[in-house]
Amino acid sequence: MLKSDKDTSAKSLRRGGGLEHWAERHLRYLMLAPTVLILLALTIFPSIYMFYAAVHRISPNPDLPWEFVGVGNFARLLSDPQFHVALRNTVVFTLVAVALEFLLGLGLALLLDRFIRRLSFLKTVLMIPMMLPPIAVAITWKLIYEPQFGVLNEIMFLLGLPVQAWAGDVNLAMFSIIVADVWQWTPFVFLLMLAGLASLPVEPYEAAALDGASSWRQFWDLTLPFLKPVIAIALLLRVMDALRLFDLVFILTGGGPADRTKVLSLYIYQVAYRFADPGYAAAISLFVLFVTIVLSTWFMKRMRLAE
Amino acid sequence: MVRKFCLALAAAASALAISASAWADITILVPSGSEGDGLRAAAADYAKMKNTKVETVQAPYANVFEQGANAGATKSGVFDIILMDDPWIPFFAENGHLEDLTSYFKGAGVEGPDNDFLSKSLAICRNPYNSGPYVCLPYVGNAQMFFYDAAKFKEAGVEAPKTWDDVLKAAKALTEQGGGRYFGYVFRGGQGNPVVADFMPIFWSYGADMFNADRTKVTIDTPEGAAAMKAFMALRDVSPKGVESYNANEVGTALAAGTAASSINWPNWVATFEDPSQSKMVGKISYSPIPAGTKPGSSEIGHWTMGIMAASKNKQEAFDFMMWATTAEQIKISAERGNPPVRTSVFTDQELTKQEQFRHYPVLMEAIQASTPRPRHPKWPEIENAFGIELSKAVAGTISPEEALKNSQAAVEQITGLK
Repeated sequence: MLKSDKDTSAKSLRRGGGLEHWAERHLRYLMLAPTVLILLALTIFPSIYMFYAAVHRISPNPDLPWEFVGVGNFARLLSDPQFHVALRNTVVFTLVAVALEFLLGLGLALLLDRFIRRLSFLKTVLMIPMMLPPIAVAITWKLIYEPQFGVLNEIMFLLGLPVQAWAGDVNLAMFSIIVADVWQWTPFVFLLMLAGLASLPVEPYEAAALDGASSWRQFWDLTLPFLKPVIAIALLLRVMDALRLFDLVFILTGGGPADRTKVLSLYIYQVAYRFADPGYAAAISLFVLFVTIVLSTWFMKRMRLAE
Repeated sequence: MVRKFCLALAAAASALAISASAWADITILVPSGSEGDGLRAAAADYAKMKNTKVETVQAPYANVFEQGANAGATKSGVFDIILMDDPWIPFFAENGHLEDLTSYFKGAGVEGPDNDFLSKSLAICRNPYNSGPYVCLPYVGNAQMFFYDAAKFKEAGVEAPKTWDDVLKAAKALTEQGGGRYFGYVFRGGQGNPVVADFMPIFWSYGADMFNADRTKVTIDTPEGAAAMKAFMALRDVSPKGVESYNANEVGTALAAGTAASSINWPNWVATFEDPSQSKMVGKISYSPIPAGTKPGSSEIGHWTMGIMAASKNKQEAFDFMMWATTAEQIKISAERGNPPVRTSVFTDQELTKQEQFRHYPVLMEAIQASTPRPRHPKWPEIENAFGIELSKAVAGTISPEEALKNSQAAVEQITGLK
């Protein structure tokens, strides 16, 4: 058989294979299709829909048309006192909770880094809060904080200290939510820091020890710089999560007392579902998304600079 | 086009989320708790009797509103019947989510519900209130009552409290004697619905109201409103610390555990107070109508009502079920299951009233007939939220009662567009 005949025959075989060969050629796309479809349905489409909704006034009456309002919903943010309160509370919560979680997580990791082999069970115990469903954590803390029958006030009473309203007191409500969040999420920071500490090179420490550097000096000049990428990741993830805080506030305080714990997620939920104003809720959600993207970008840039 | 696609997708998602109900002949959305449990049991009885499939979808209180509103806005038809709290009726009716029942009554050969239903129970099922067509049928006869420990009140020198001044006198003495572990009064001070629900009866009993008679003006910041607020603040001062975060459970627990002497509460708590496994106060709590202020006292009505969703595909079947479930016979069975009735014949049924657990029926019937509905407005959830924030601030002491009234007035004016 001549070479040209062979080529022709192979081509015709490939073409003649029909559906089977077509499927073979496009297998990678077929395999990807379900994921792409799920992504389109669950991420891309809702995101586009949210942009579309955010520029409309949407009546709960399905027979009334959506009214295009352009940036109207975004302009409302400027003059909405409840939004301002929610934004302020979210910022306070994020700053304080994340800072405490970071300091405690790092402190615990440094403390246990040396003893972890001997006390490995402690790592498991410390992980427990993080593994609990947020709703269970919220209900547990609600019981702890309960003013009349809660265990915290029972202890206060036994110690002869004044009992407190905790989640019901205007001055303590946000603090109470922060404590519950710190209890649940410090283990996450601790785990990341512990992993970071385990991956530190040994040589620089040996050299520093030979030079007579104190433990504090070693921590400041070696450990912290080496840990910077891990710290940045931990902070970034916790900040993003803190901006979405919902469960604890919903269960513990419902945003009260006196609006002291109303955070953006709760306000978005109220606007969308209680006040039946999904257009405005979409605008607030986009604002939160925008803030999260700006913060993440800034963090990532800082991280690259640090590296 | 995009909108239609979006709506279709949302409807499909809702339908998928509760796919189990898609094959039912009737699907009913009910709240968690005794009200929903009662209707679920009735639905099961009906399904057996008619050899049909009646599906109930149960959700927490706030989620019933959300799911109903979502089903209405998407015209998904996933629910045929919704068991609604009565202040939601204007929202559902005026946004086209509820079916007008007039033609169904005519089809059944009647003009409307029979006269055995309490008039106040029927009034809330018409939209506009007490004058428009029926959009639902009453099922659970909730109206607040005044709950108090008669022995403790007697100790404090008040035989049977008739006015808020009586309550305050007894509560003050009991709280002073309580040493921080026992209180004369307790209320729902939690921001939003809880604090509004416990303030409204006091508001009304001092002659105040949220709107004027023809609903053209907001009337919160008035001398009557100020008098009500003054009484409310005095009650706060004799209540437990942290009451600003209390909801029904905390109030109920305080009464059942015998750490508080009185409160405004809903009748479905009676069963808890009379249950020895849940209460230290069995047989010790007395029930009375809401005390008077400068005007006769008035309860907030909080009926659970059944309406047919406008997008339902099984409207006639849904109507037939609602008519059956609200017959005197079924309302009596519902009462035995723990739900307050809505019919005179059941309230006065001697088989029930001779039982200890139903001894509050005469008071409850009186309370329903003397009740006031929450202001009928399609934006009530938003109004309640705004009013609830200001009341919460006043209870917590972050603003003065005068400021709370002024701010509430401005907030409700803005929401409703009334000046």
